[in-house]
Amino acid sequence: MRKLVSLTVMLLLCTAVAFTQNRIITGKVIDATDGSLLSGVTVSGGQTGVQTDAEGNFSISIPASVTSLTFSFVGYESQTVTIGDRTYLDVALSSTESSLEEVVVVGYGTQTRKEFTGSAATVKGATIAERPLQSFAQGLTGQASGVNIVQPNGLLNNPPVIRVRGLSSISLSSFPLVVVDGIPISTADVSDNAVTNNPLADINPSDIESIDILKDAASASIYGSRAAAGVLVITTKKGKAGRTTVNYDGWVGSNRAVRLPEVLNAEQFVAHKNQAIENAFSVNPAFSSAPRDAFALMRDDDGNIIDTDWQDVVYRTAFSHSHNLTVSGGNEKTTFYFSAGMSDQDGFLKQNKFERRSGRFNISHQLTNRIKLFGIVNYTNSINNAPNSGSYDGGAFASSGLGRIAMAQAPNVPIYNPNGTYNLEASSIGRGANNIAMQWVNPQVLLDMDKNRSENNRLFANIGGEYEIIDGLTFKTSYTWDLRLTDNQRFWNPIQGDGYSWNGHAYNRTSRADNWNWTNTLQYRKTFADIHNLSVLIGSDAQNTRIENWGGQRDNIVDPFFTQYQGTFLNNTAAGNSIDEIAFEAYLGNISYNFDNRYFVTGNIRRDGNSALSADNRWGTFGGASVGWNLSNEAFFRNGGLGNIFDNFRLKASWGKVGNGNLTNYYGAYNLYSGLIYGSVPAVRYTQSGNNDLRWETSTQTNIGLDFAILNNRLSFEVNWFNKDIDNMILAVPQSPSKGIPNNEILQNVGSMYNKGWEFVVNYTPVRTEHFRWNTVVNFATLENKVTALVDETTPILTFTSGLELSSITQVGYSAASIYGVRSDGVNPENGRRIFLDNQGRQVQYQHLGGQDAWTLLDGTRVSSGSVTGATHVLGNTQPKWYGGFNNTFSYKNFDMLLNFTFSGGNYIYNGTRAGLRDQRVWNNSVDVLEAWTSEKRDAKIPRAIYTDNVSNGSAFLISDNVERGDFLRLQTATLGYRLPASALSRSGISNVRFYVQANNLFLVTSYTGVDPEISSNGNSNTASGIERNSIPQGRMLTLGLNLGF
Amino acid sequence: MLFNKIYKLSVTRLVLGVLLTLVFTSCKKDFLDKQAELSIPEDMTFETPERILAQVNGLYSSVKQGELFGGRYLIYNDIRAEEFQNRTSNVVTGFSSYQFTNDPSDSYIANFWIVGYLTINRINKFLADFELPENQGVVTDEVKAIYIAEAKFLRAFTYSALVQLFAQPYTLDNGASRGLPLRLTPNTTSEGNSMPSSTVAQVYTQILQDLDDAEANLPESANVTRAHKNTAIALKTRIYLRMGQYDKVLPEAEKIVSPSAPFQAPGGVTHRLAENVAAVFGQEAAQPENILSFPMDNTNAPGTQNQLGYYYNAGNIEYYLNRGAGSILSDSTGWPLTDARRLNFVENYNANWTILTKYSADPPYLDWIPAIRYAEVLLNTAEAEAEAGSLERAHALVSAVRERSDDSYTVPEFTTKEIALETIFLERRIELLGEGFRAPDIQRRLLPFNSVGAGASIPHDDSRYVFPIPTREILTNPEVE
Repeated sequence: MRKLVSLTVMLLLCTAVAFTQNRIITGKVIDATDGSLLSGVTVSGGQTGVQTDAEGNFSISIPASVTSLTFSFVGYESQTVTIGDRTYLDVALSSTESSLEEVVVVGYGTQTRKEFTGSAATVKGATIAERPLQSFAQGLTGQASGVNIVQPNGLLNNPPVIRVRGLSSISLSSFPLVVVDGIPISTADVSDNAVTNNPLADINPSDIESIDILKDAASASIYGSRAAAGVLVITTKKGKAGRTTVNYDGWVGSNRAVRLPEVLNAEQFVAHKNQAIENAFSVNPAFSSAPRDAFALMRDDDGNIIDTDWQDVVYRTAFSHSHNLTVSGGNEKTTFYFSAGMSDQDGFLKQNKFERRSGRFNISHQLTNRIKLFGIVNYTNSINNAPNSGSYDGGAFASSGLGRIAMAQAPNVPIYNPNGTYNLEASSIGRGANNIAMQWVNPQVLLDMDKNRSENNRLFANIGGEYEIIDGLTFKTSYTWDLRLTDNQRFWNPIQGDGYSWNGHAYNRTSRADNWNWTNTLQYRKTFADIHNLSVLIGSDAQNTRIENWGGQRDNIVDPFFTQYQGTFLNNTAAGNSIDEIAFEAYLGNISYNFDNRYFVTGNIRRDGNSALSADNRWGTFGGASVGWNLSNEAFFRNGGLGNIFDNFRLKASWGKVGNGNLTNYYGAYNLYSGLIYGSVPAVRYTQSGNNDLRWETSTQTNIGLDFAILNNRLSFEVNWFNKDIDNMILAVPQSPSKGIPNNEILQNVGSMYNKGWEFVVNYTPVRTEHFRWNTVVNFATLENKVTALVDETTPILTFTSGLELSSITQVGYSAASIYGVRSDGVNPENGRRIFLDNQGRQVQYQHLGGQDAWTLLDGTRVSSGSVTGATHVLGNTQPKWYGGFNNTFSYKNFDMLLNFTFSGGNYIYNGTRAGLRDQRVWNNSVDVLEAWTSEKRDAKIPRAIYTDNVSNGSAFLISDNVERGDFLRLQTATLGYRLPASALSRSGISNVRFYVQANNLFLVTSYTGVDPEISSNGNSNTASGIERNSIPQGRMLTLGLNLGF
Repeated sequence: MLFNKIYKLSVTRLVLGVLLTLVFTSCKKDFLDKQAELSIPEDMTFETPERILAQVNGLYSSVKQGELFGGRYLIYNDIRAEEFQNRTSNVVTGFSSYQFTNDPSDSYIANFWIVGYLTINRINKFLADFELPENQGVVTDEVKAIYIAEAKFLRAFTYSALVQLFAQPYTLDNGASRGLPLRLTPNTTSEGNSMPSSTVAQVYTQILQDLDDAEANLPESANVTRAHKNTAIALKTRIYLRMGQYDKVLPEAEKIVSPSAPFQAPGGVTHRLAENVAAVFGQEAAQPENILSFPMDNTNAPGTQNQLGYYYNAGNIEYYLNRGAGSILSDSTGWPLTDARRLNFVENYNANWTILTKYSADPPYLDWIPAIRYAEVLLNTAEAEAEAGSLERAHALVSAVRERSDDSYTVPEFTTKEIALETIFLERRIELLGEGFRAPDIQRRLLPFNSVGAGASIPHDDSRYVFPIPTREILTNPEVE
């Protein structure tokens, strides 16, 4: 009894001691990036530890001697917070991309980064969700090492050009395979009019949880034939068990064009053109293309000089807004994610508009403890509208392209006549006071009356299940249906522009793309004796895509009252009909083993069939293997002192071979004839020379990497070296035109090319205190691309910009898609003539209108024009030799800031727009021409202006004077955010409120003089990159956003 | 427990069974066998008489393409001389040819070469495939001979255009200069890129050979959109004229031009001049005068920027008539205002532009392309008579053409050969304006181009006189030069 009493006393004493010395701290833990509540976070102080509840709240009782609390959570960086005299703590944890526990979504499964021995980059959905983008892919710029992304120009929803470790092919697509929740989806522009329609925009960026970019062949090889260009694995958000959360994200923004070229005003224009005409007469007194003083200033009724700024007519400051609402949650058995999104974005080009409405429902249900079901339903409606910008692939020389008209239209003519009607003359703008006809159309009419529209209605549905047959052995089946209905509409008015010569024209086309995919896998995962970790997977994958297009063309409108396809027209014909179908079938296997988390081995094999190859060659076997060694888990490492320096140290290597089945022609193996009409009778004619031996193009890649972390994981470093050999390249081999092969090309397996380079990622947290945190990630990649074989050493592949201007060459010994043209060598100070270097390296000067003496040596000896125009050379590589990103996140108390820089360089760009801006026809010119040669300005860089001269400045053929370096540094994104303190929200029911302002493309440092060094007038072309021709510029966007969490 | 175990096992078997079934069923061969649904495979092209006929029509349609005789052949030959002025400075619509600044890399002119040879390859493939054992017996030998004759006619027609544009005139040196690669067998594979050019004479020999073969087997009557016997003969008068072999024009002409007025073809299709020249052009071809026309239709309209009415008429007025000295328009004595060809085909669009309205301005520009018409045959014959026969008959022939359009005009007496030729040249410029004859007429006589676009006279020894062989050919077939 005494004992009991004394025990009680002791307990009481202890309690008393504890009572006096312990204190209770409460608080809330959230995710620093998106503000979501984190449940299950371990909060520890001294010997005590608790976990946060579903609402992110914690309450911990600690002795007074404990002055700080440590917060740790899987996938997040641990944080230690000094308590001071506070009793309530708001804590925001940051996830870190270098974290080894992070999950990498690889083919048909997932691995943690520490198990993963390939090369992949992961980008979190939050990085791209809050930005004024149309598709997620645009937001990846500078985010992942070895992934180079070029947004071709500022036209909304223009598909970005993505290159994972360089160019992956020459004739086949080099766009990476995009896999959304397991199904490969199409990536090409699906519009067939002047608006661009990137189907990737059908995926609401806000629904994306993460994007994993598989770069090396060993990890991509599980995707076999589709993976030669790398793989973007998109995982959409899923619900989490626990409290149901509701989030609203929205932003409003404005967008305007930057770096527009400066062109002549009306007075400068008139003076310059008249002088050029005088100069023409001085060369050839019989000059007949324009009378003397053909240009004249025009005045309005008030006597003011007409000086139209066509850039003002065509461009605007545009307004956009976007809203997204999600509800997600669940219990142990069922989780769900529901979202509804709307985005209305206006482009800085007038009438350019992108609208998306989307709904998504992801659900997962544990039926029994062995069977799990999951499903996705996603419906998206997206509508793209644009005038003809001339800024889509193939549109560079469109005569109605507003990008060019905004620069080249004469400034001394008005938009409207005094009576308010459009200023027109036949198919062009009216001449005003000029004594010569104008060439370009009046863009106002096109903006008011023409229409290009492309609308997608897309259903994306998935159903699947998993059955755990015995412990560790799981069968999974997943069927996905991706149905896209695209409606393309085009209307051209009868009074001006493309519709003029048709007297009004309408063309509509409907496209039905039915894409299904069924995968089945059987996976066995088991750990033996605690140290042998094994995973074996076998599976099958079948995919079929059928695209049916049908449409109609109508022209010669019965009355200009009609402005749509449904109006009445005299001529009605079928147009745009096609049917294409392709199928893939594959059987795959994967084995992963690691010994004690120290030695890692993975192997992949896949047998792939592709209907687009010839019957005897359509099956191919691909595969890869990788090994890894985690030194930091070795005893000798830990005990040898290195363990004190390195928190982690790992070596890895991989090798793999994949095929490229991204053929654009699904029937390239066959000789084919097409049906057509001759007048009004049936006709059939030869239209394709096939190749019955067409087989797989392959890509073999080796990757060697090292990564380590020091300073308590505050500094991590990753380096990879890769070598990617592309062999048996399927090339459209140029045939001599006199052979009469349709399109002068036949697909053949003839070429080889390699890409090699280094990739570095440094992730450093220079400051990590309770209130202030700064994290910086630098990724830097080098790339060397070289073509090692084509059909033969002397037959290059020549590519024409928009099919018209010879601009690019792919030749053995050089980087693919190099700029190709004639070397110019300044201006002769004696006479102002352009000097070229001819095929013997001689200086040849060009005198426009010089007749037989147009081309002469400097001493006046005549040479043939062919000696110059045939003297074409490789003038520079267009693929960057180095590129990357420099991304900084800062947080201070409730403020957060993001500064993302992107950079790229070592490449050249052909500034073809400048050739046009200095063209001496009726076009307006850049202010550069004010510095053209005259007898007073003998050291000029620009030749003497002679009216109609389209040769001296590079319009007639490409000249080296218009080739410039493309190096740049851009502040891609700058964001400043503020989160309301939890105390301010305590009773509102709102758990999280964050405001942010963001600027995109805030500044650009470059010596390039065109609209933007990030340019691709030829879109996704492999062999004609780095060309700027008449494209609209990039925009600068400012947005104001709000995140709300309930 | 036992039940549970059995259940587990059977489900395991079920799942594995499903997986295996899947593996084997999806292995079905036809899953990966996708055939083009909208194209006819090569081995089915001679299956029915209708399809063989459609192939013949396909050859005509190839010749008719906008890049070729459906537009560009006529345009390139008309805009290089003194009759037209450019309005739009657009390189796409011939501005560089007009200015004589086109170089070998010019992609528009290259397109003429490319489509020309594509057509020749289609013809060669048709001729070769028609002889394959498996393609016999579907049509009668008689029909087969006709189809082969048509194909050969089209091959001659295409080569005649290529050799005129891309090689020196035969008359320069009797065809000794560099001609073209003479492709006479089909190409369907990557083999055979290299082929040196034959001489101009060899190309002409082949053209005449094909035309003689064609004449032998072509039917006596046919519709205007396909070749018949007189079509081959008419083309021969043009070819011999180009070669300067006037004495050889006459025997050909004799087959299709009666000795005296009213001139008409004595055998086969009874070609003769239409009463009204305005009836010759339009959305159908008047049979007696038009020997070969390429048809257009709503469902087979000419391609964008290749339509003649788009170039010359109000369609887009790419080129308007030159009013300056030396142009045919300025010659109101030689071409009085009373002439039906002025009244019908010339119009003042506005104060600045006088335009040629021979082809309709109504989109989609369905005027048929006049490829060979009887008026040309009469003028070919007249020129040959003036050079190698009777000045009197030459006068009668020219008068027939002139008086059809202007009976108030009296063709001056042909007192000398020079007067005769001058009169015939004048008549050709008026009658054939906008039909693609100006450049070949200049070139075969080795005259200088009086070029408005270049603002210069381009003599026959100027390197710009004929088109250079396109760069794309030289790069893949360096032996061509």
